[in-house]
Amino acid sequence: MNQTIFIRKLPAFTLLVIFLMLLHLRGYAQDRLITGKVAANEDSSPLSGATVLLKGRNKSTVTNEQGLFSILAKKGDVLIFRMVGFKPQEITVGDANIINVVLKGERTNLDDVVVIGYAKIARKDATGSIGSISGEELRQTQPTTFDQALQGKVAGVVVQQVSGQPGGGVSIQIRGVSSISGSNSPLFVIDGVIIPPVNDPGKGSNPLNAINPSEIESIDVLKDASATAIYGSQATNGVVVITTKRGKIGAPSISYDVYAGFQEIPGRLPTIDLQQLATFINARAAVWGFDVRPEFANPQYLGKGTDWQKELFRRAPMQNHDITLKGGDTRTQYLLSASYFNQEGIALGSDFKRYSVRLNLDNKTTNWLKIGTSLQLAHVDENVAATGASVISTALNNTPDIPVTNSDGSWGAVTNNSGWVQPSANPVALATIIKNLRKRNQVFGNLYAEIQIAKGLSLRNELSGNFDFTTEDYFSPSYTFGKGTPSQNSGSTSAGQNFYTVIRNFLNYGHTFGKLRLDALAGHESQESTFHNVSAGRINFPSNNVQAINAGDPTTATNGGDNSLSNPKGGSAQESYFGRINLSWDDKYLLTGNIRRDGSSNFPSYNRWVTTYSGGFAWKIKNEAFLKDVAAINDLKLRLGYGLTNNQGIQGNSFITQLTSVPNGLSGTAQFQSNLANPNVTWEKTDYYSAGIDASFFNGRLSFVLDVYNRQTDGLLLKVPLPLYSGTAAGYSPGSMAAPYVNVGKVSNKGFDFQISSTNISTQKFNWKTSFTLSRNINKIIFLGSGGDQANLSTSFNNDIIQTTVVGQPIGQFYGYIFDGVYATPNDLQTHARPVNSAGNPYPVSAAGGGIWYGDRMFKDLNGDGVIDSKDKTFLGSPLPKFQFGLNNSFSYKNFDLNVFFSGNYGNKIFNQLKVSQTDPQNNSSYFSAILDYARVALRDPNGSATDVNNVYVTNPNTTIVSLRNDNTNGNNRPNSLFIEDGSFIKCKNITLGYRFSEKLLSKIHIRSVRVYGTVTNAFIITKYSGMDPEIGSWNPLSAGWDSGYYAQPRVFTLGANITLN
Amino acid sequence: MKSFNKTITTILLFAVAIAGCKKSFLDRPSNSQISSNNFYKSTSDLRLATASLYAGAQWSRWNRSGMMPFGDVLAGTGSFAYSQDLVQLFTRTITAQNTYVSEAWISLYNVIGQCNTVINAIKEQADASIPQADKNAAIAEAKFIRAMAYYYLAIYYGAVPIIEDNRKLIDNPLLNRNIMSDVYKFATNDLTYAAQYLPKTDQKGRLTTWSAQGMLGKVYLTMAGVGKSGGMRSQSLLDSAKKYAGNVCKNSGLTLFPSYYELFKAQNNDSPESLFALQWTAGVGYATGNDLQTWYAPTGEVLPQKTGGWQSLAPTYDLYRMYSPKDTVRRKATIMLNGDFYPELNQAAGGYKATGTGMKKHIIGNEKDNNAPTMGSWSSIEHNSLLRLADVYLVYAEAILGNNTSTSDADALLYFNKVRTRAGVDPVTSINPTMLRVERRVELAYEGQYWIDLVRFSYYDPTSAVKWLNDQDATHGRIGFTYDPVTKIATRDTTALPSTLPATISSFTLPIPASEMTSSPKLAEPPVPYY
Repeated sequence: MNQTIFIRKLPAFTLLVIFLMLLHLRGYAQDRLITGKVAANEDSSPLSGATVLLKGRNKSTVTNEQGLFSILAKKGDVLIFRMVGFKPQEITVGDANIINVVLKGERTNLDDVVVIGYAKIARKDATGSIGSISGEELRQTQPTTFDQALQGKVAGVVVQQVSGQPGGGVSIQIRGVSSISGSNSPLFVIDGVIIPPVNDPGKGSNPLNAINPSEIESIDVLKDASATAIYGSQATNGVVVITTKRGKIGAPSISYDVYAGFQEIPGRLPTIDLQQLATFINARAAVWGFDVRPEFANPQYLGKGTDWQKELFRRAPMQNHDITLKGGDTRTQYLLSASYFNQEGIALGSDFKRYSVRLNLDNKTTNWLKIGTSLQLAHVDENVAATGASVISTALNNTPDIPVTNSDGSWGAVTNNSGWVQPSANPVALATIIKNLRKRNQVFGNLYAEIQIAKGLSLRNELSGNFDFTTEDYFSPSYTFGKGTPSQNSGSTSAGQNFYTVIRNFLNYGHTFGKLRLDALAGHESQESTFHNVSAGRINFPSNNVQAINAGDPTTATNGGDNSLSNPKGGSAQESYFGRINLSWDDKYLLTGNIRRDGSSNFPSYNRWVTTYSGGFAWKIKNEAFLKDVAAINDLKLRLGYGLTNNQGIQGNSFITQLTSVPNGLSGTAQFQSNLANPNVTWEKTDYYSAGIDASFFNGRLSFVLDVYNRQTDGLLLKVPLPLYSGTAAGYSPGSMAAPYVNVGKVSNKGFDFQISSTNISTQKFNWKTSFTLSRNINKIIFLGSGGDQANLSTSFNNDIIQTTVVGQPIGQFYGYIFDGVYATPNDLQTHARPVNSAGNPYPVSAAGGGIWYGDRMFKDLNGDGVIDSKDKTFLGSPLPKFQFGLNNSFSYKNFDLNVFFSGNYGNKIFNQLKVSQTDPQNNSSYFSAILDYARVALRDPNGSATDVNNVYVTNPNTTIVSLRNDNTNGNNRPNSLFIEDGSFIKCKNITLGYRFSEKLLSKIHIRSVRVYGTVTNAFIITKYSGMDPEIGSWNPLSAGWDSGYYAQPRVFTLGANITLN
Repeated sequence: MKSFNKTITTILLFAVAIAGCKKSFLDRPSNSQISSNNFYKSTSDLRLATASLYAGAQWSRWNRSGMMPFGDVLAGTGSFAYSQDLVQLFTRTITAQNTYVSEAWISLYNVIGQCNTVINAIKEQADASIPQADKNAAIAEAKFIRAMAYYYLAIYYGAVPIIEDNRKLIDNPLLNRNIMSDVYKFATNDLTYAAQYLPKTDQKGRLTTWSAQGMLGKVYLTMAGVGKSGGMRSQSLLDSAKKYAGNVCKNSGLTLFPSYYELFKAQNNDSPESLFALQWTAGVGYATGNDLQTWYAPTGEVLPQKTGGWQSLAPTYDLYRMYSPKDTVRRKATIMLNGDFYPELNQAAGGYKATGTGMKKHIIGNEKDNNAPTMGSWSSIEHNSLLRLADVYLVYAEAILGNNTSTSDADALLYFNKVRTRAGVDPVTSINPTMLRVERRVELAYEGQYWIDLVRFSYYDPTSAVKWLNDQDATHGRIGFTYDPVTKIATRDTTALPSTLPATISSFTLPIPASEMTSSPKLAEPPVPYY
């Protein structure tokens, strides 16, 4: 096969010579009719429109709708079968009159088609940086929602799961974080429907989790300005274009895809059992002099107690069914599919069900008019776990001595009446008794008409929209857990509508003038989105069984305007004009120019319109004379691009003072001014430089794409923290006006994306392919306005700054002290710097309260002034990974196929918040096993004084856990390097083993193809991180990388089958 | 199909697309919030805008963290709780990181920000059809409230920046402090405007010209001492104080509420005695309402949902000593002693019998006691007064006393004794400065006033004022006490206490919050004149 491709690539005259020679050798034979069928290997569907070329004889034909062809040829002729998106194949005519061919549906970069915004072009003609994955690749990881599957597949795209909850969201950033106030999420375009970037795609109207991954044909990720500018101001963080499958010309085919499996928690955090707890509490009580618990008197007789993680997590089933009918003739092509997906969550009380129907229809009405639609109806039922995103920390709040249920059937909980033991909720009970049901109905679709006005000139009209209806039902019955305050029952219900519509018209023109090819596009687009939410809540229902909202106590009724619905009704609009020119000279030099003018309702009328533009240049070096004959190089292209993009990442109407109705004792309600308006607010601007190389060698066996970029975002919109006397606050501060949005900052993102794929072994029976992606992004704050370094963009933990955003550092850098061991020797206490009190004097060395003593944590005195104070804090790393990578290996042997996919992060830091509380001996929740290594304080002379510095020491000086002393003058849990851990990891995201049944066998029972497979998702992970899962996404770049015990991604085992009927 | 006309179809599709776009397509005013440029259309709109200045989140944090922690704890009326930042108030080691220091600062400037925005919006955007008198009256309400905030800022922090238009801070955020006398002057300018344009009567709870004139009297009385020493104050400013306070006493037609005890019940909110009270309401959330009783009550027993009493603000031994044996009405209405019975608290349980000493003022009971179902931990319906007639009576008496060592002026005695007789204590025949201070302390205890009196004192007689603070410590006056209901003997606490720094003149000025000094370094420079 390699040889044949090699031949194809030889210059034409060489071929001619060879074939003339062949002809001479073979002599003359009689032409006869050869017929056959061309099919695709992925699902054996017939390929219509495939070219069948008689090599060297200038004769060709095209397959019909059933994939059939007929051609006159003679023995010894070579037939070349070609189809875009498939590897060409050559077959020499033998004695048989019927030749059936199966083309391998494998994308080589060269034949690819990519979306460039309002059009598609061949990848080889693209000037921008565009990464793509096929639907088939996507489905290898069996994702619940497609966004989860982008991870590690496209270089430059950082995908991080925010919650492992079924249907839970992921955060996606393309080439870094460029906005603090606005969204850093890319723009999603699904079959032409623009989904504006949202900050939190995990909940609410997330159209993304209603899309069934099995319906996706391809995903294209537009990364640089020269690719995204055509989408204008919403696209400054990149564009993800999703194309769903459509019908093809051919006989109707029905396929059924099914998989079922189960999920389990990837691991449990190591907690101590009841026996260990009792021993520990006894030891602590001996030091404290109180809190002796009689029930712990004999730890050796106690069992393991309750393992709350075990109680709260389960092995949860999931299943998915899709039925697709597709086909069509030359006039009409259709695809109709129905699917059902049901996933239980690994945490009690959570599940996700999706029912969807899709109809994609294309009709060539007349020879100048084409119409069509993509339409999806989806219904999602979601049970949101009562324990929410922090399910693990909830499990860890309870100690093993607490039973899940008491012997009388009531729920177990803390009953210890000591004042310092906090009551805690029983998470199993909450998950069982609290109802929190979200239902969503979504109509999502696109309607188009395309008119061929003249040769090369067409007009396309599109009307698309997303209509989303959500209801949420919540009821919490009355309950009492142990000594906790009895909870009154309460219920709430809410309903919301989000409507989004786009009308779009554009003209396409294409013409070839000699060596010059011109393609032009001009259009207009208007977008409108509105939302409307209402909610009602009441408490004190007469019975827990009557949950209708009107049954609650009417005097407790609340509605709308609560915190989650502070803005119950509103909307925004955008209007745009856009144009593009693509020029190609001699298939060597490509030039693209984009311009788009956007008007947004988010800005005052005088700052409303903005222009985004970009230019791209590509040089197809391969097509130059000096490379044309180099057979080893199949493709070599250099790309350069520049663009100026704009971002509108602020809420609407922040340029004007908003008045909020607040309750008031004087007049019932009154108007409170909720923001300080900045009438001069304007767009964030990004200067975007990029360059790239596309190359392919050795007949496509090795190819790579390398991109470098530099994004400089200026006029960063920031809710600027003014001095307090301004009466404003950037964060939560009751009574303060919201700080004004001001264009102040500047942030830079530089980096590269690299993607390489190779065919390592390619024989008739065995194939092995590898692809690898690597992304590097360097984020840096250049400027933060007049507030400069003082701009208060910090997040605190234990009343101390742990994460901060300052000039010269990446956004959201961790910040704190450097852990320096525990005070273990007299020398430590006498010479090592100690923290200071509010007057600036070091705390005394003393075993009594208010002093620093053995077993307290030491922190490095970085400035060497002999005391520990805030000047000793330093940067402790960034939650943003230095590198992200993905590695995919696929093997096939005969009818078996195997795919193994790894992805990973390198160089990011995680704040392990659970570790703080769960390794603190003063704490009264459960403990990690590490607590058992608490600093053990001993006396050198057992009869000597326990308060004499020189008579005391720590027997395990290398511990990181403080001693049992009931004092924390030292501030042991202040933000420090002990809690900021390396989050680098390699995760085996997916292993799939498949088997394709022999088609000969199947044809007897009228089945075209059957493939069965087994998959393990999140199979294993290699990391130094001590928490459950280092893959932590966040919507807010200022406080990213916090592991507060979130819903971990499950390990999933599935078995599935793809069946296609004739 | 062939009858399909290509041209017509094309034109139709274009037409449909263009018809979708109106000129106002990009104007999307918020549907759920009113914006300032479409409000202020009528007098009632102005009233809604000013109503929000009388209470709400902007006042809430000062009300809890400034009014009593400074007004009473710092002044030795309320005893510290065992809470780090309150302890600093006791030990006079108040740092710039102190929560109370920053909460009061934030809250008062939030009040000013709201007032400024309302004043500017009315000036710039109020509809031309609104009568000028109504606009002036609305501006007058906002100016009065702004003056209150500046008055408190000057009392607590001395020199502070004066801001009239918050929008200017977007471009020029860094300000100098303004000298203290100009801050007072700014307050009197606002109050003078308010006295001129506020009506003589208005809806219950709204400000009137008497509110403004009473407050003018008080501010002039304060200003009279600024920059003076040796116990002598500016006579002309004393005269101004006398003029305005006297006008309220004699010409307002207002009288004291007959019962001191009943005055502090929620059903008597906004009685005619109240000249300015915060207009709290039930059912609001954390840090947006009146949560005084939730924090400072001696017990959660008497509170909504039986929740609260986290920082019980016990009375000091010094305060207890101020009550003469006949002064039982004010004592019981202000502080609880062991064995006291309050039938109006926790009525469902038949009333509340105190089991120790504690604060009583502001404790109004639970939601059922007040027939306010939505009253919760953060939303007491008590409208606590920041200025009431009794205060103005005493201001008037003090203005008359002026620089004299004592007075038997008939007017001074008349109004001074009105306050005393209402409380059931004997009238006096002569008044001296100490008597005035004690009377104000007892009458206005737990209303945040006594520290203000001491700061005023420190302006014109710093030596005596400093000595006064130190004497209070010397006699262990700022310590709590226990009361034996059988023997009726109060015993001072003897628990070991954190050591206290001796008072100096700088003890009368609070530090500016540390974070504010960081974000606005020019505050460290010497204050500059505003006028």
